[in-house]
Amino acid sequence: MSSLASAAPTAVVRGTTTPPGAAARRTLPSAATQRAPYLFIAPFYLLYVLFMIVPIVAALFLSLTSWVGLGTPEFVGLANYGNLLGDSSFWTAAGNSGLYVLVAVVLVVPCSLLIAQALNARGLRARDLFRVTYFVPMVVSPIVVALIFSMLLDTEYGLLNSFLHAAFGLPGVDWLTDPSWARASVSFVLLWRWVGYLTIFFLAGLQAVPRELYEAAELDGAGPVRSFTTVTLPAIKPVTAFVVVTSFISAAQLFDEPYLLTGGGPGESTLSLAMFVYRAAFERQQFGYAAAAGVLLFVLVFAVSQLLNRALQIGRAA
Amino acid sequence: MTISRRDLLRSALVLGSAAALGPALGGCATSSVAAPSVRSGDVDLLFWTHDQGYIDFFSGAVGLADRATSYRYALRSLQIAADDLVTKLIAQAVAGRGMPDVAGLEIGNFARLLRGDLAPELLEPLDDAVADVRDDLIEARLAPFSRDGHLYALDSDVPMAVYYRRDDLFTELGIPTEVESWEELARIGAKVHDQTGRSLGTVVTGTDLGQVVQQFWIPLLQRGGGLFDADGELSIETPEAEEVLRFLVDGVQSGFLSTVSDVYGPAMQAALKQGKIIGLSMPSWYESYGLKPNVPEQAGAWRIGALPPFEGGGGRTSVGGGTGFAAVTGSPHTAASADFVASAYLDPDQQVRRFTDLGYLPTRRSAYQDQRLLTLEDEYLGGQRAFEVFADLVDEAPAVYLSPDIQILNTVLAGALVDAYRGRSTPAQALTEAAETFRSQADR
Repeated sequence: MSSLASAAPTAVVRGTTTPPGAAARRTLPSAATQRAPYLFIAPFYLLYVLFMIVPIVAALFLSLTSWVGLGTPEFVGLANYGNLLGDSSFWTAAGNSGLYVLVAVVLVVPCSLLIAQALNARGLRARDLFRVTYFVPMVVSPIVVALIFSMLLDTEYGLLNSFLHAAFGLPGVDWLTDPSWARASVSFVLLWRWVGYLTIFFLAGLQAVPRELYEAAELDGAGPVRSFTTVTLPAIKPVTAFVVVTSFISAAQLFDEPYLLTGGGPGESTLSLAMFVYRAAFERQQFGYAAAAGVLLFVLVFAVSQLLNRALQIGRAA
Repeated sequence: MTISRRDLLRSALVLGSAAALGPALGGCATSSVAAPSVRSGDVDLLFWTHDQGYIDFFSGAVGLADRATSYRYALRSLQIAADDLVTKLIAQAVAGRGMPDVAGLEIGNFARLLRGDLAPELLEPLDDAVADVRDDLIEARLAPFSRDGHLYALDSDVPMAVYYRRDDLFTELGIPTEVESWEELARIGAKVHDQTGRSLGTVVTGTDLGQVVQQFWIPLLQRGGGLFDADGELSIETPEAEEVLRFLVDGVQSGFLSTVSDVYGPAMQAALKQGKIIGLSMPSWYESYGLKPNVPEQAGAWRIGALPPFEGGGGRTSVGGGTGFAAVTGSPHTAASADFVASAYLDPDQQVRRFTDLGYLPTRRSAYQDQRLLTLEDEYLGGQRAFEVFADLVDEAPAVYLSPDIQILNTVLAGALVDAYRGRSTPAQALTEAAETFRSQADR
């Protein structure tokens, strides 16, 4: 009995006779069948390895060398990392990147959410017009953005200072050449550019919240603020988590805005970590040093992203 | 055999890394196999530069180069931003293909090639190509493009700084055009600013770090100083540097000097159009690249003159900018490229043409006696014989010395200069702080 069952367990299904070989194919897939899924996913992993893993390994190797971009890299061990830790510019850049992250997470994300909430209001007229208006800054070329803002914010001949002087008699503000104002200006441009883009994510999340939840909350006596905190925020938590993490990653690697608007200046007061890496490699021919800074930036972003993923429970069932 | 996903990833990682790192690192080494050099006949040269004017100039020199050498040249040109040109040059050298034959290297970016062995690895020494006229070349413009006694590029210009003035407004306001010193002009300028809101000069406080530093470097060179000495050592902690910076800071605070974000863009255009800036110290090329494009309607109103000297010493001119043209080494066309650069640039007629076509001053001393240039009247400058001014000053043009770390200095010094202009630090503090930061970042 047992031998019969083990020899042809499926042979008597539906009362028909099935060749023993066919049953074996179903229970024990051939080697080719086993490999098929891997072959299907292989192109992705091949590209992933070539364009992600290999550059990371190459950067790790370069970070242990001194290299001007040509010739044979000279192995220097961990000297680049040691120099970085003692480099005031690196810490300035890290501080600035920290500021940009704070602006992105603490200012840009809440503003995006509030605008999305406003756009999601019932009975709002010209909703599409507002949506497009908020989104336009994201699709405008950063070069154009930098040009426009540099003309607006010029100390001597900028439109903003001219307006402040004409309207209020205020003296010119060094928007781009005073360290504090320059940081504020870059942060403002960051806010201006990203808010509309992130609003789209929040709007999609808000539109997916069942209307019944709000009706139930209203029946329970909840006002608009209470509904927002007890219905909206919990309902869009996955979207919020995604927006926070991606905003963090983008802000930590910010390059365009400070590079084009202030060039990292005045001095290094708006220099970001990504600019620090670029500057070391492509302006100073310090490729090993730049690679070391890039590795540290990668480790930092990766580690904090993982922490945020866990804290916000991204990808986990509620 | 069953392959797990982890095994697949590990294998791919190892194989991929080996496959990619091998050629990548191999490519970093200099190739030891060189194709035979072309010594005559047809040569197709690839030419990189950041300036359309140079493309026109060199294209127009092909016939002359054909007659002067044993080659028949064809020129293909590619215009690339000055910063990107050096980056791309190095990248192509690593790739081992796609290199230009002739490259125009803006002076600030040429300094990047002074790091390590980049200059000798990439560029052909031009010593032999210029040997016949070496004594006639203006020595001050050989220094920035030389390393270890070899000349790697021929400067396109002797970019002497002169004082540009709105002659009509100077006359109207009663400002003397001949003054004894910068200090005297500064005293007059402060009064003019008090009465009219106009300035007699400018410093840059914008985001182009090179411009910010250049506006300090020009008077510093005039005063007899420099950012680096002949050995490439930093030299901003000197009495001359402090004196010059104090002069600029005082000028900004009195209104004698106006601050602008850059000397080419909209802010400067607005200042010039409104007549808020009616004089400035800039190199010879500024007429073509700054004034004419921004205020063409002011043709005839501007004049140039020698810079007033500083009371503490120094000459009547300075220099700013420059572009060196180099032959790229390691190609079968290298010898032809060197001959092309030399013949296109050093021929006496070409020296004249460079000034008439581009506004770039000759680099051969003998050209400063050329009557075609001396009698040339400049309509934009109200018919002034501008070349006479430059010919009078050429022997006072100071030498410029570079360092591979000049980009680091641009960063740290630009911030320190702006701090000083804004009164956030004293000139001495600004220079000391810049020097200390520079030393902490250089030689990485």
